[in-house]
Amino acid sequence: MLNRIFISLVTLLIGTANLFAQDVQFTAQSKAVAAVGETFTLIYTLNAQGGNFRGPNIQGIDMLSGPNTSTSSSIRMVNGSTSMSITYTYTYLLQATREGTFTIPAATVSVNGKQYSSNSLSIKVIKNSGSSGAQNQGTANQNHGTGSSGAGVTGNSNDVYVKAFASNSSPLQGEGIVITYKIFTKVPIAQINISKLSSFSGFWSQNLMKENDKLQQTTQVIDGEQYVVADIRKIALFPLKSGRLVIDPLELACVAQVRRQTKTRTGDPFFDDFFNDSFFNSGVANVEKTLKSNPVIISVRPLPEEGKPADFSGAVGNFTLHAEIDKTRLKTNEAVTLKCTISGRGNIQLIDKLNLTFPPDFETYDPKVISDVQTTASGISGNQVFEYLMIPRKPGKFTIKPVTFSYFDLEKKRYISLSSPEFSLEVEKGAGEPGAVMTYSGANKEEIKYIGSDIRHIKVDGINLKIAGSRFFASIGFWLLLVIPLLFFLLFLVLWRKLAARRSDTVLMKNLRATKIARKRLQKAEEFQKSGRQDDFYIAISQSLWGYLSDKFSIPLAELSVESVHEALILKNVNETIISQFIETLSNTEFARFAPGEKTVNMERIYNEALEIISKMERELR
Amino acid sequence: MKTMKSYIFSLLLFLATLTMYATVQRDNIVKGNKAYSAGSYSMAVEQYKKVVGAGYESPELYYNIGNSYFKLNDYANAILWYERAKRIDPGNEDVDFNLNVANTKISDKIEPLPELFYKRWFNAVIQLFSVDSWATISIIMFITGLLCGVLYLASRVLILRKLGFWFGLGILFIAGLTMVFAWSGYSFTRNTNEAIVFAPTITVKSSPDEKSTDLFVIHEGTKVRLLDNISGWYEIRIANGSVGWLPATSLEKI
Repeated sequence: MLNRIFISLVTLLIGTANLFAQDVQFTAQSKAVAAVGETFTLIYTLNAQGGNFRGPNIQGIDMLSGPNTSTSSSIRMVNGSTSMSITYTYTYLLQATREGTFTIPAATVSVNGKQYSSNSLSIKVIKNSGSSGAQNQGTANQNHGTGSSGAGVTGNSNDVYVKAFASNSSPLQGEGIVITYKIFTKVPIAQINISKLSSFSGFWSQNLMKENDKLQQTTQVIDGEQYVVADIRKIALFPLKSGRLVIDPLELACVAQVRRQTKTRTGDPFFDDFFNDSFFNSGVANVEKTLKSNPVIISVRPLPEEGKPADFSGAVGNFTLHAEIDKTRLKTNEAVTLKCTISGRGNIQLIDKLNLTFPPDFETYDPKVISDVQTTASGISGNQVFEYLMIPRKPGKFTIKPVTFSYFDLEKKRYISLSSPEFSLEVEKGAGEPGAVMTYSGANKEEIKYIGSDIRHIKVDGINLKIAGSRFFASIGFWLLLVIPLLFFLLFLVLWRKLAARRSDTVLMKNLRATKIARKRLQKAEEFQKSGRQDDFYIAISQSLWGYLSDKFSIPLAELSVESVHEALILKNVNETIISQFIETLSNTEFARFAPGEKTVNMERIYNEALEIISKMERELR
Repeated sequence: MKTMKSYIFSLLLFLATLTMYATVQRDNIVKGNKAYSAGSYSMAVEQYKKVVGAGYESPELYYNIGNSYFKLNDYANAILWYERAKRIDPGNEDVDFNLNVANTKISDKIEPLPELFYKRWFNAVIQLFSVDSWATISIIMFITGLLCGVLYLASRVLILRKLGFWFGLGILFIAGLTMVFAWSGYSFTRNTNEAIVFAPTITVKSSPDEKSTDLFVIHEGTKVRLLDNISGWYEIRIANGSVGWLPATSLEKI
């Protein structure tokens, strides 16, 4: 903008000097042949001060910018005569978009009120054949020189580009590779700003360059042209899976500093100095460009399955394992630290855990992992330290099984297993813990820890084989066992009923016949009395009395005694006087045999007594 | 009379050969146990299956077969044989334990429908003993009850008569109850058709037709109840109550 103002100023200043009648020349210049996608310039040159420029109506070719007007003038004083030349240029930036031959019609300009037309141009657009690996899609390469000498200046798509290089395009899984992004430029560039970095999916990545590193520049000649080359990103990659992995292109934005010939040459050293001074002449255009690198295809080879250890967890490189324990004799509740160090080169930061089993009674914590890793341009090396803190809670002798670690050695092309020595620990009862008391308090008791689960063991003994489908329930045996006891019970019931009935019958009979029998025996006794057989008489009397009681009250003869008779009669609610009279009669019968006096009189009296008491009893019981 | 004699004779002969055969089978079991202990589980299955093939059954034998299949990681077969063992001896703690372990290994975790509490209790009581044990208890109780009745009738001593009456009544009641338990267990094993899914993954259909709607997917080892059977298809119900149809070839009856 400033340029323009000064140009106008200069034009005003020298306008009056423009008195010379000159041949006005108004020409158009451009490329005769252009490729599709190529940008190029169309320049109209006027050797006079012109105005009212009318640009061409271009069909088939995109107009990116223009017209940009610039002026250069020179005043010459030769032998006192002053001559002045002035040049106006109108510049278009064009881009060919499709194949074919296109005509750029004439442009018009007016000089001193007179119209001038330029020549028309014909441009042939051909297919783009030479696409470079670096997909340089710069659309605004404005490093064209403007000015009178700028014939045939075109934008060059190879002025600046970014390319990605992989150190190894077919690594093993886990083998580190380095991918380097380089920028190639012919023009000065500034403000490199990475707008999109690949996500590196399928890789574990580690940036090898610090964010604020100064870019190391080198120069390199490619196809005869000198380029400034700088590494802009360097990344170590460790493939996490095998197969074909694609690294997406990197995209960056930068500002290319393009020199523009906008110097207004006056021919005067003073003027030149004045206008070409840095303040006035910022002849550098800042063009923002977006660059995209090429995608990189990495085919990752899988690690061999052969000889792969069970504890292999993906470490590839070259490592050493060192394990140490800080003490081997300790007291309960004291902490002990097992320190395992893995050092070497390779994907060391991917090692996140070690294969370690502790005695089950130990209290253990997650390991503290300290990594000390150097990332250099050549890869990653360093060491990873795992600190395991353990606290034994019970006294005893314990062993910590060896720590094992395996990796794939890239040089030897095989798996290598490392193992630490076995550590044995002797844990004594801690002083602060009065063991005996503690065990009774129950505070020391622990829940049973279940380490695994499995089914219970097979049955070996007591297998009771039966014929399939056979069942006791509802079988014949079952029903028989149910029915037979029932039948027995019913049989018993019937028999018992009958027996009871018969027995009750005999009692009744005896009861009814008791008096009869007693009387019969008394009659017998009377006969014995008449015939004078004293002993038989008393036996008959006694029999008749006892027998009467026995039958009447269904008491077996064997159980009869004076006492039992008394009880039995009371139970039958017999009058007390009758009971005592009966018992008196019984005892009289016993005594009368041996009593003094007339035997016939005694027999007569006992007979009457017995007859009387039986009759009385008979009446009483009725 | 002659036929009766020959009948008894053939019965005796049958029993004798049976016991001889049983000792052969016992040898097979011992061989199976040895193979199991040695870790050759497929051999153990083979030996045990010989005994089953000869027409014998035993909850312990089925349990051992289940264990062998479990060790072979064939969980569907393991579940099948544990379930078969459970059929014969419902209250066996070891069978239940291993069945639970095996059920944790299969893909389908089906939330069973909650049963009504009294049903659950009733089932728990029934499962205390096997059907035959309940039947035996019932028979013993019945006979004891009858003896108490005899005591009641025959005794002259008042106390004994009273004891006989009330005890007899109580024991006969228990006999009846245990008979009901035995009968319930018996009818359950008789009338309940259950099966284990043997297809690794199978879609349950809405009707017995390959073209019908897919309802849900179940996996190997899941227990289903069979409700109906139409031309090579079973209507099934899974533990959460969902119902659908499966081809008979994908199932193995317990």
